[in-house]
Amino acid sequence: MSDLIELEEPAEPSNSSREEIRRISDNARARRIAISRVMVALCGVALLIAAVPLVALLYQLINKGVGQLNLDFFTKLPETPTLIAPNATGGISNAIVGTIALTLYASILAIPVGVLVGVYLAETDSKFATTLRVIAQTMAGAPSILMGLFAFSFVVHDLNIGFTAIAGSFALAVLMLPVIIISTEIAVRNVPNSLREAGLALGAKPHKVSTKVVLPSAVTGIVTGVILAISRAVGETAPVLLVIGGGFTNSWQPFNPVSAMPLAIFENAKSEWPSQRAQVWGIALVLVAFVFVLSLTARIWASRKQQVRN
Amino acid sequence: MERETEIMTEIQAQPTTTITPALRGPVAMQLRDVAVSFHGRTAVRDCSFDVVKNRVTSLIGPSGSGKTTLLRALNRLHDLTPGAKVSGQILLEGTDIYRGNLTVTELRTRVGMVFQRPNPFPTMSIYDNAVSGLRFNGIKKKSLLDEAAESSLRSAALWDSVSSRLKVAASNLSGGEQQRLCIARALALEPEVLLMDEPTSALDPVATLRIEELMTSLKSRVTVVIVTHNMQQAARISDDCAFLLMGEDRAGELIEFDTTEKIFNNPVDSRTLDYTLGRFG
Repeated sequence: MSDLIELEEPAEPSNSSREEIRRISDNARARRIAISRVMVALCGVALLIAAVPLVALLYQLINKGVGQLNLDFFTKLPETPTLIAPNATGGISNAIVGTIALTLYASILAIPVGVLVGVYLAETDSKFATTLRVIAQTMAGAPSILMGLFAFSFVVHDLNIGFTAIAGSFALAVLMLPVIIISTEIAVRNVPNSLREAGLALGAKPHKVSTKVVLPSAVTGIVTGVILAISRAVGETAPVLLVIGGGFTNSWQPFNPVSAMPLAIFENAKSEWPSQRAQVWGIALVLVAFVFVLSLTARIWASRKQQVRN
Repeated sequence: MERETEIMTEIQAQPTTTITPALRGPVAMQLRDVAVSFHGRTAVRDCSFDVVKNRVTSLIGPSGSGKTTLLRALNRLHDLTPGAKVSGQILLEGTDIYRGNLTVTELRTRVGMVFQRPNPFPTMSIYDNAVSGLRFNGIKKKSLLDEAAESSLRSAALWDSVSSRLKVAASNLSGGEQQRLCIARALALEPEVLLMDEPTSALDPVATLRIEELMTSLKSRVTVVIVTHNMQQAARISDDCAFLLMGEDRAGELIEFDTTEKIFNNPVDSRTLDYTLGRFG
């Protein structure tokens, strides 16, 4: 106990240096407060600039869209206006049915594969997994028209299935896959390792730990990712443009040509009839409502996830 | 003066005091020259001692001395860590747990584990947590599960406070209750040995006291090996005590193993005395 360090008596600072320290720190504080106010003001201005286009878009959408909505709009098939009846545009029921059918088949194709691949990527560390991850990340950033081209050359042409709903669903599924894979991987990786260890320490085999412990804990994150992928697919025009054939009936059949809301917007916007061009806003409004409901659902799921964590 | 130096050299000539004859009774686990390394770097080595049945054995030592690493080797939790290697022999009832005729899943049902932070399964109810180990091992019969749930929750002194809300999510319990649920979960498999890795370090003093009382009461049916930072805790609850210390090459090693009474009152190695007196660590 002899090697205790001897402490020196601390020297007291003089009164004059104390005053100087106080004066300098007071000045520095005043300067920081001024800078902070300027920054807050700048942020406010930036917020306004960002809000203007968003609010203007929503205003125009609702202003021009609401007038188009009525029962016929949702239930009738489209009609082509004539000189005698220039406002006879009919409804968009085929496009609504088509969009739901396309999204449904795309989800059936993409969700099981995407979730399984995501779990695989999260739970293994092989070279193959790394390669797969890089591919998924690249695909997530690929332009969506590419999926349309791929579906056109592979499903429509090579498999000779023709312009059908399933070809469009295939294109959308390829689009959704990377989103589902990446969000599943993140959700599974976010499951604390302590839970895996707890499962293993109870004598569970690794696959039991995956299915009984890890997946249930990650499910909210996975569902959130899946819903976001669906809401992205719902609004995509490019992948379906080339391959679904634009059917004019309410068809749920996977091997029939179908229409879709983004496609109806694309076609009507090119119309020579002002009534059909006006109808575009109604379709856009319905489409945005679809996506809004889906994102809202995803947000509610995500907040449930927060609660589980807490 | 010369004689004292001589004694010191003699002590240092045999740095790891192994199984002392003072420890009588049937042995649950035997450790023979156990060492754990990660990617070729030794984390802990030279560990040889017997874990005697129906006693509480504590592993004490400062941070980095390899206590937790050693504990995790006892139910092969290092198996999934890339680069981890366990050498030497660890025997459970005479069977080598790494090379013997014992599957890793069977080993883990016989040697349970309670972790530092309470980690009940957040998506499961209290009941489902308590019987999760049985379900993982294929037991589905409801009468068996009900019975195991009640008896394990009773053993963990949790039954009275949760029996009316077994279907509630385990995350609604307090930290101390969650840790007792984790103990119940491990006990439901009727293990022979229960490993506990600083089970009270995340708990308040009252919850800590309840877990300590629990450990003492569990001794009659299960052998406990506990890692603790808290020397008072080791002195209060353990019967035998292993003192580990980080060597010059930053690998932990066993300095001394003996009854807790001997380790705290009359240790052989001066470093043990320094540590238990709080001179370092």
